[in-house]
Amino acid sequence: MSLSQAINNSVAGLRVTQAGLALVAGNVANANTPGYVSKTLNQVQIVNGEAGASVRTEGVNRQLDQYIQKQLWAETSGSSYATRISSILGELQSGYGTPGGNGTLETAFSNFTSALQALSTSSGTPTAQSSALSTAQSLALQLNATTQTIQSLRSSAEQDINNSVNAANAALKQIQDLNTQLQGMQSVDPSAAGLQDQRDLAISQLSQLMDVRVISDSGNSISIYTGSGIPLVGTQASQLSFTSQISLNANSLWNADPTKSGVGALTITFPSGAKEDVVAAKGITSGQIGADLNLRDNVLVQAQAQVDQMAATLASALSDSTTNGTAVSSPPQAGFDLDLTNVLPGNTVNITYTDKATNTQHQITIVRVDDPAALPLSNNATTNPNDRVVGINFTGGMASIVSKLSTALGNTNLQFSAQPGSVLRVLDNGSGAQTVNAGSVTTTASVLANGNASLPVFTDGVSLYTGAITSAGSQQTGFAGRITVNPALVTDPTKFNVYNTSPLTLPGDTTRSDYLFTQLTTGSFYVSPGTGLGSTTTPFKSTITNYMQQFLSLQGNASANAKQLKDGQDVVLSTLQQKFDSTSAVNIDTEMSNLIALQNTYAANAHVMAAAQSMMQTLMQIQL
Amino acid sequence: MAINNIGFGPSVLGQSVLNVKNQLTDLQTQLSSGKKSSTYAGMGPSEGFAVAARAQLQNISAFTDTITNVNTTIGVENTALQALVDGGQTVHDALVLNATTLNSSGQTNAQQIAAAQLGSMLGILNTQSGGRYVFSGSATDTPSVASMDDILNGTVTQAGLKQVISERQTADLGTGSMARLTLSAPNPTSVALTEDGSVFGLKLNSITSSLTGSTVVQPAGAPPVESIDLGAVNPNPGEDVTFTFNLPDGTTESIKLTATNTAPPPTGSFTIGANTNVTATNLTNALTTAIQNLSNTSLVAASAIAATNNFFSEPPQRVSGTPLATAMTLTNGAANTVAWYTGDAGPGSARGTAVARIDQSIIVKYGARANEQAIRSQLQSIAVLAAVQTSPANPNATAQISALMSRVTQNMPTQPGQQSFQDIQSDLANAQSTMKAATERQKQAQSMLQGVVDSTESITSDEVISRILALQTSLQASYQTTSMLSQLSLVKFLPVG
Repeated sequence: MSLSQAINNSVAGLRVTQAGLALVAGNVANANTPGYVSKTLNQVQIVNGEAGASVRTEGVNRQLDQYIQKQLWAETSGSSYATRISSILGELQSGYGTPGGNGTLETAFSNFTSALQALSTSSGTPTAQSSALSTAQSLALQLNATTQTIQSLRSSAEQDINNSVNAANAALKQIQDLNTQLQGMQSVDPSAAGLQDQRDLAISQLSQLMDVRVISDSGNSISIYTGSGIPLVGTQASQLSFTSQISLNANSLWNADPTKSGVGALTITFPSGAKEDVVAAKGITSGQIGADLNLRDNVLVQAQAQVDQMAATLASALSDSTTNGTAVSSPPQAGFDLDLTNVLPGNTVNITYTDKATNTQHQITIVRVDDPAALPLSNNATTNPNDRVVGINFTGGMASIVSKLSTALGNTNLQFSAQPGSVLRVLDNGSGAQTVNAGSVTTTASVLANGNASLPVFTDGVSLYTGAITSAGSQQTGFAGRITVNPALVTDPTKFNVYNTSPLTLPGDTTRSDYLFTQLTTGSFYVSPGTGLGSTTTPFKSTITNYMQQFLSLQGNASANAKQLKDGQDVVLSTLQQKFDSTSAVNIDTEMSNLIALQNTYAANAHVMAAAQSMMQTLMQIQL
Repeated sequence: MAINNIGFGPSVLGQSVLNVKNQLTDLQTQLSSGKKSSTYAGMGPSEGFAVAARAQLQNISAFTDTITNVNTTIGVENTALQALVDGGQTVHDALVLNATTLNSSGQTNAQQIAAAQLGSMLGILNTQSGGRYVFSGSATDTPSVASMDDILNGTVTQAGLKQVISERQTADLGTGSMARLTLSAPNPTSVALTEDGSVFGLKLNSITSSLTGSTVVQPAGAPPVESIDLGAVNPNPGEDVTFTFNLPDGTTESIKLTATNTAPPPTGSFTIGANTNVTATNLTNALTTAIQNLSNTSLVAASAIAATNNFFSEPPQRVSGTPLATAMTLTNGAANTVAWYTGDAGPGSARGTAVARIDQSIIVKYGARANEQAIRSQLQSIAVLAAVQTSPANPNATAQISALMSRVTQNMPTQPGQQSFQDIQSDLANAQSTMKAATERQKQAQSMLQGVVDSTESITSDEVISRILALQTSLQASYQTTSMLSQLSLVKFLPVG
């Protein structure tokens, strides 16, 4: 009977309207809940009888643009990467100080050169000497402080990775749990919608930490992979683990070999139990973890290499001198005698010869390397691009040196022999096929008054800086953190002038101070490509001042670029978010107008019910 | 499950407002600091130039300091040199008056002036500039010259100038004031003069004769011998013979003896005897007297000058052996003689003992040593005057003093081919003009480099202020709009209740 049908329909209408009202209330209440996606009611008509249709709710709809959501996740990781890099580079910038101000490398360096210059003018006065000493000390301290800044930033990156890994694991676990719960639920199930909200929130948290790819499976479940395709979570979650180091120093570097690595290892354990090294696999390239890894292993390592290079050049420029070999000839052979007495580990013997057949000149650099584990050396062990590098262990004495050289350089047809008094003789083979053009020995001065203008002003703690190479790496690594003014010079600053004790250098003799000044201001040196300047084949060669200018600009530009990138990323992200919100966020105005509509509908339904009721009553009162 | 904060949803408007606010803060910092930023990154892409420019500026300022210091030192040197020139002139002026009156201390007025000037010149040579002895070459921490007392009178272990002069005088005069010469007669009609082969006394230069019938033999042999043979015929009165000698200081003196019939002969003559044998004897006697006279007058003066030269030599030369009157050579006296110059005497030019770099590739040399030729030669002349004392009782006193003063008067002006004070001064003037040119260049470079730094790092306050104003306007507008938008919500317009 249609009348009762009408009442039933209006009751159904009231029920649906109430459900709608509850939804509006829920939307409004959750307007500011993170991850909450605005819901709408799914209502369908139910045809029953020949006229009219009832209504019922069919779950809820999440107002979601999945395409934008995925983009949002991708950009979130990009944005948090850019933010992290920019913030750390900004902090690094404060480590370099205010341009031109005190507490910057450039000021410390300028003060030192000025003091050396003053030392030449008012030579021999204790005031000038102590001023040279104190400016040298503050330069060393400045290098130490810069190293400390860089390394504490690396340590904080390390700590941050640890925290991020914990957060990521929590998110992965949550996603796995939600996946399990959602399996088998109808997607329009109101509780499923809430769980999906939570899962999306967890994903967006995860996407801040790393770059993720989200793939929706059938049955409400989703799988997440890293940007490079390492599976993170499906029905089962992988587990990230990080062996965090308490603090890092310049020598703790990442290495693919876990026994040699000095930094925390990031591994992922798959549900199957298999493990993979995420850093080696370049598994995470974006997000906060990606940024921290990049900072820890590349950006800040390069910044350290830059100051190390500066410290190394500074020390070597002042302490190293090159002595030419003595030409010898024993017809038909000719060559040079090279005195190896003062060659320390890291010092070099340089030989230039011409191959007559091709008429090309070759350079050979023989580096003293006493640690057999560090041998053989690569051709890039020296910054000179044109030389062939041979590392030789000197501990076995002259006979052993000669035999090692003959083995290593046999194909050059140069002939090596030992002469009395640690003298190495290098000769052509007499066939005229090649000529030895030059031979020289570069040594580091070990005593202050060595009769030579060079002076070991800076040392590596209490030992000399010679650039020695061992299996643990080059002495240059982290040298900026250890550089100090030669303790012997601190005790006796007169050695800034006195280079000879017999006859004693006169106080007006400016030979040494002038040499030191010239080395610092006009001496030109190769720079290791690890500093980001130049390459292995065409290394950057410049004065110390120019080098400092280059790397400070490089860092300045990097920081400015990172900031720009971050600003750009922020705009992209907030635009996307805006777009996402325009469909998914709770719009109070919409909800309010829905509310009015619902009120009206409710009133109308009630009215229909009242009318039907009254008609029914009328019908009942009919007196037949 | 992690607890999440309330999310108020980012909005582009909100972010822009925040952005503008941050910009405003940056601009305020710029305005108060006058700098674009406090980091290298914030200075913009040309910060590299500014870093380089600042390093160069620092170098220039160090060079400017150097130039100031060196200019001061050169000023001090010039003042000292001028004072030395003036002192020399004072002594020279006193000498020209040629007053030979000795006072009680055995010195003339000019000698006393010289003694006073010697004192002040030694003082001047020990001048310091910024704690450096400027006339000590590289030994800037050592006084340049010994004290006047040590130089003249010596110390306990080392001889002073006076002793050196006196020893040399004994050596030069030889036995019997014969100035190391021996007279002999190879045959009855001849007179021969022989040197003793030492470096002291008179040295034979030449012999000229207008005596009728005489034959001369010029100095020859080792040791040199010269002689005159009167032959068989007596000379005529009025004819003469001249013996010329070299003195130790390089001057020459002649003894001219005229034949006369007067007996006894007046000074400078010899009596013509009955035959040439007698005449030769007379000539020998006259020559002996004349040589002794020359020894006690000019030779004393010349010896003092030679001794002073020995004293001021590097190393000092002393008469070797005893007795002094028969000593043959000079010897290195560094051990037992006062070293008048105590600064650095190494090889190389005096100017090169102080070198300053006044530009990346320019150096100036401005060193000086008290033992440079010009200074030493003037000191020597004045020191000999100050050291020599002559007893007024000595009959030869006036002649000795006169000989000494005329020699010194002649020696004092710069000799051709030798270094003068003007030479030193012009070297220093060259250094100064080099520095002046460098300063000019550096000033230009400085303003250019400062421009680079300023344009990279400094702000124009006008520009910043106008940007602040613009931002302020836009920020106000944004705030206004935000406020208006926040009012626009349906919730406000729904009836309550």
